[in-house]
Amino acid sequence: MTQPLLQVQDLHTVFSTKEGQVKAVDGVSFELNAGETLGIVGESGCGKSVTALSIIRLQRPGRIVGGKVMFKGQDLTRVSEDEMREIRGREIAMIFQDPMTSLNPVYRVGWQVGEPTRLHNGLDARKAFSSAVSMLGRVGIPSAASRARDYPHQFSGGMRQRAMIAMGLTTTPHVLIADEPTTALDVTIQAQILDLLRDVNRDFGTATILITHNLGVVAGMCQRLIVMYAGKIVEAGPTADVFAHPKHPYTWSLLRSIPRLDAETHEPLKPIEGLPPNLVDLPSGCAFHPRCAFRVEKCSRDVPALLRVGDTQQSACWVTQSGTELKGG
Amino acid sequence: MLVKYVARRILASFVVVLGVTLITLILMDRTRGAYVPGIDFNPSLRPEDVARLRADLGLDRPFYVWYLSWIWGVLHGDFGHSMIDGSTVLSHILDRLPNTLELTVTAILIGMIVAIPVGVIGALRRGSKTDNTLTVVSVAGFAVPQFWMGLMLILIFSVTLEQHGLPWLPSSGAFSPFNGGDILDRLQHLILPATVLSFFYVSTWSRFIRSSMLEVLSQDYIRTARAKGMSERRVVYLHGLRNALIPLITLIGLELPGLVSGGLVVEVVFGWPGIGKLAFERALQYDYSTVMGVTFFATLLVIAGNLIADLLYGVLDPRIRYG
Amino acid sequence: MPAAGIETGGARPAQSYWNESWERLRANRIGMTAGILIVVLAAIAVMAPLFSLVLTHYQPQTINLDQTFAKPGAAHLLGSDELGRDTLTRLIWGARVSLGVALLTVALSLSVGTTVGMVAGYYGGWIDDVLMRLVDTVLAIPAIFLFILMSILFRPNAFTLAAIIASVGWGSVARLVRGEVLSVKQRDFVVATRSIGASDSRLMVRHLLPNVLPVLIVAASLGVGQIILVEAALDFLGLGIQPPTPSWGNMLTNAQSYFFRSGWLVALPGITIFITVLASNLFGNAIRDAFDPRLKS
Repeated sequence: MTQPLLQVQDLHTVFSTKEGQVKAVDGVSFELNAGETLGIVGESGCGKSVTALSIIRLQRPGRIVGGKVMFKGQDLTRVSEDEMREIRGREIAMIFQDPMTSLNPVYRVGWQVGEPTRLHNGLDARKAFSSAVSMLGRVGIPSAASRARDYPHQFSGGMRQRAMIAMGLTTTPHVLIADEPTTALDVTIQAQILDLLRDVNRDFGTATILITHNLGVVAGMCQRLIVMYAGKIVEAGPTADVFAHPKHPYTWSLLRSIPRLDAETHEPLKPIEGLPPNLVDLPSGCAFHPRCAFRVEKCSRDVPALLRVGDTQQSACWVTQSGTELKGG
Repeated sequence: MLVKYVARRILASFVVVLGVTLITLILMDRTRGAYVPGIDFNPSLRPEDVARLRADLGLDRPFYVWYLSWIWGVLHGDFGHSMIDGSTVLSHILDRLPNTLELTVTAILIGMIVAIPVGVIGALRRGSKTDNTLTVVSVAGFAVPQFWMGLMLILIFSVTLEQHGLPWLPSSGAFSPFNGGDILDRLQHLILPATVLSFFYVSTWSRFIRSSMLEVLSQDYIRTARAKGMSERRVVYLHGLRNALIPLITLIGLELPGLVSGGLVVEVVFGWPGIGKLAFERALQYDYSTVMGVTFFATLLVIAGNLIADLLYGVLDPRIRYG
Repeated sequence: MPAAGIETGGARPAQSYWNESWERLRANRIGMTAGILIVVLAAIAVMAPLFSLVLTHYQPQTINLDQTFAKPGAAHLLGSDELGRDTLTRLIWGARVSLGVALLTVALSLSVGTTVGMVAGYYGGWIDDVLMRLVDTVLAIPAIFLFILMSILFRPNAFTLAAIIASVGWGSVARLVRGEVLSVKQRDFVVATRSIGASDSRLMVRHLLPNVLPVLIVAASLGVGQIILVEAALDFLGLGIQPPTPSWGNMLTNAQSYFFRSGWLVALPGITIFITVLASNLFGNAIRDAFDPRLKS
């Protein structure tokens, strides 16, 4: 079996706030293989974005206080800032949620898209610009040559996100991290962007980490997914398996809460009870236990570890680890 | 879009000019009774002569006639005559204008050159001792009376230094009448007043740049820039500062209108032969028409300056240019 | 066991905006110190005659020709000027002028500016256009020239001086108030109040004004320092309060002739102005941070 491209091992990132220390990433481990698409799912504040930022060491003002990020034989948490800069944008690219604010308003789009190749591949301004134009065309922007001379505010939301994707790909990185790439867009555009990401993954072979809170996005895109809650991974596995039989109550509740087209019209929605945890003052034991329909006594005492449950999945839950199936109305 | 923007600004300016002429002349009206040119020089003028002079200048005509003839005069560059010696206000203005501009433009340049680095340092080292010290100095700078600062600098750099036999700076005028006029001499005379005048700019602008930089550096596109793997220097200066300076241009543009009037107090303290000092001297002599003429001229420049600043802003911000 | 997952936390009881702002202000040590300093200065100004009698034993205009240019010492705590008048006494009495004119100017600026801004913002349309053009016009004239012009046209005493300085200040206040009124006007309670038959003036005074007040308070406290500086400058130029009435500015009118006789005489009035304006600015900043935290940089 080939080595995974990226290995995150027991990563810990903390933020110091007035109210106390927040363990945004609390012992996260996962792998990414070349060419595959991995989804990271969770609600706001669960630590998925910080995990991604920690991989490329942009987690400031947070601090990485433990763990490793192995990439091509190097531990990214330990390399020098200069070496890290070589990797950012060239080997691991990241694109962000809101393309309007993520693009610099005073520079032309083509110039910005071409910047990574100017920085990393040593292309001169003209060559970088034309490579940017061709990439913009590749991601589906019509009349790329003239549009590249435009400024961000002259692009529509969907086009800006395409431009961001183009910007991430110009150096043909090994890994593309997309942090909520469709959240700020309307539904029809969302579908187009997801299609684009899928094409890119297929044509360029770029391994992709897709971060989202939307299970629907993950379903069509990712081969594997991990579910995060309060800074920890609570479930991991192939997407199809996780959706068919979730092995963690949180995942189970998430899947149940999605309204279904084939449901009876008078059925009430089933939200997850309770509120997201206060990261400064986490519940004892399993962080999800106050909201869990399956909890037992042990859950409020001991923190469950992420262990294999079933053939292909992992889960951090005392209940499922002891063999119980999650069922319910 | 740019054309519409330009047209709107010009129209607005025009209306304001009209308004200013009205205010100017309403105030001027109060002085009509006393306005007799040359009376100080020639106390032997008989009442008939005075009456004739006034008639010549149209001072006994109704307000609206006077208003219109005054406007007519202004359109031809006639801003009135001095009540002291009858010479044209415009000639005095043109004489002194270069001096004032020399002073204020230098002050603005010093302001920019000092404020930008100070502001950037403050932002990059936010919360450090350097930043706190700079902030304290800026805040203190707002509270210092300009005229007093001028006096104190003269006291220190002219009087005291001279008393101790050290090389000292001149305390008045724009150049030495006897052996001067060359660049070095003019520079020596320029340093103190320009420094005093720039002090306010440095205080204001450095704080502004600092907060502008802090805001820009917290923007998403800065995160994007870092994610693309560029050096911190490039992020800060190429991506950050470029955005942070845009509002500063507006701020500097706001000062353009004040170019003519802003230095008045400094001019008086340092005996700098500019427009401000002109207005002041003539005011002490109750030469209403000169003061009025100078005021109106300065106002025209203010309005023109505002217009230019607006247009400049429109050009610089691509969101308006291609909006 | 408590209800699943419901957060309680230590919730503070909700407070009114004014209470909250006052609390924020109180927490700001620098600002409060500055504020107290100003109150002390104001108290000194008001009780100037008392200080003259009890502390310095001089009147501000008492001439004493054999004690000219005295250095600070037993006889004159802060020295004396070219006519032997006690500097400390004159500084104390000067506070009356500076603070008094400043207060008057603020009062005038605020009342005229608020009225104009309110009317312009509320009625909109051509009234708004005309009033705002008027404001633009007044603000276009360089202030210092206008001041000079008006001080030779109108005899300057404390009241006319305040009116002169306010003649420019009201414009900014009007613009500010108009802006606030425009945004408040959109809110539902305005429509609701009008629907129960409230008259225009009632709406403006009882409903809009209180909402505009925070902005006014902030603007006023930030502007006082500037006003003091302008007033001092006018006095210095001889266009404001005339001698022999002492003001910090006119104590420096002849400063150039003091250079060789007494540096103290040049330094002291300026330092006094500086401290007062600094305190005023710091307090103004504290007020702004307390009443409108959004503006904090």
